[in-house]
Parts: sequence; C-alpha cells; structure tokens
Amino acid sequence: MNYNSNEMNEQDEFLKQMENLQVPGIDPPSHQKTVKMAIMNAERSAALGVWLIIVPCYFLFCVFMYYYSHMQGSWFGAMFKLMTGLLADKPYMDYLAPVILVVLPIICIIINALAIIHVNTRQLSPDKQRVKEFSVTIKVKLWNIVLILLSLAVVLTFIGYVMTENISIKN
Amino acid sequence: MIMKLNWFVRKGLFYRPVTIMGWIILAAAVVFAVYTFIDINNTSHSVSDVLINFVFNLLIIGLFYTLIAYVSEKKPARVE
Repeated sequence: MNYNSNEMNEQDEFLKQMENLQVPGIDPPSHQKTVKMAIMNAERSAALGVWLIIVPCYFLFCVFMYYYSHMQGSWFGAMFKLMTGLLADKPYMDYLAPVILVVLPIICIIINALAIIHVNTRQLSPDKQRVKEFSVTIKVKLWNIVLILLSLAVVLTFIGYVMTENISIKN
Repeated sequence: MIMKLNWFVRKGLFYRPVTIMGWIILAAAVVFAVYTFIDINNTSHSVSDVLINFVFNLLIIGLFYTLIAYVSEKKPARVE
C-alpha cells in the first residue's frame, strides 16, 4: 500500500510539472505564408514579349547574314549598311530604327520583369517601428528570363553601334 | 473603369479572334500584308530582296496585331 501511495505522489508531481511547463509561443504573423502576386501575368507577358523581340532579332539576323556573306568591314558596318538598305525607303526611317532596336526591347524587359518580380516592404518587428525589411522575389520562369536577357543583348548591341558610329564620325 | 472587349483568345503565342470585331482586325492585317507583298514585289529586283523586306513588314504587322489582341483579349481568371 505504501509503495502504491508513493507512486501516486510521484505521478501527481510529474503531472503538475507537465502542466506548468511553458510552451514556446507561436507568433502567427511571422509564420504567415505570403501570397506573392506579380503585377502582370507571366504567360501573357511572354507571348507579347516574343513578338516584341522577334522584330529586332530578325533585323540582327539579317545583319549577321550580311556580315557573314560579305566578310569585309565590321559587324557594325554591316549593321549600318543594312539599316540604310532595309529601312531607307521608309519615310519614318529616323524613328523606326531606334524604336525597333531600343523601345521594343525595353517594353519587353518591363512587361516580363513585372511578371516575375515581386517587391515587398514590411516591418521586422512591432518593437522596431523604423526598421523595415525590403524584399525582392524573382520567380524562376524560364521564358520570361530568356526574353529579358535577349532584350538586354539587343539594347546593348544598339548602344554599342551608336557609340562606335559616334566615335568613328568624330575621328 | 477598363472596358472589357474580349475580342481575342490567346492560344500559346497567337491570338485567335472570337468576335466579329476580332475577325475584322485579322482580315485587315491579312489584306495589308498582301498589299505590302505586292508593293514590295513591284519595286524589288530579286526574290531575296522581296523576302527580306516582306518578312520584316510581316513581323511588324504581326506585332501590331498582337498588341491590339493583347489589350482586347479575354483575360483568364487570375490564379497564382
């Protein structure tokens, strides 16, 4: 009997100890799963982006073919000859070349970047009201990223062409 | 308030007209492409000259058609 009462006391103590245990608090806001909505639809942006980038890519392909078949002169020289040849008869030639090689790729970059980038600012904790966290999330969508890189390549090629032409004219 | 036009439906890269207005725009684009081809064919000296210039114009027509279709398409329900 004595043995049993001792055992009961131990059990009671154990239960009391368990009841008084401090459970670690879970802070629901910090564990909230945030829905990261992009501004534009990724598939729609990719579909339009292909059309925006296909025109400058075709033009650069023509430049490459011209350069490859003639081989004399430079890549940018071929670009200049094709620009005057392909677009010369157009009355809006002065605007068409920059629009095709700069404006269209930049629009492509913007719509595709808006489709995969999510920007968010939030307070780190309620105690530190001035400290804010700025987070940028990029969705890994292959087609959107490829289109952005292609557009960047086209814009940089055109900038290279403009700089080379200006330098050669000044000299 | 943005007006919902719903003239086109996107199928991959291309836009298919679903209303009469959409079909009129597609027909206008095709007619303009044919006119451009005839015009280039009359002024060019070789087949490659025709093709290089025509493809360039065709792509620009396709770009304008897609831009119109992009702003007037039937938008899918937004699911992320």
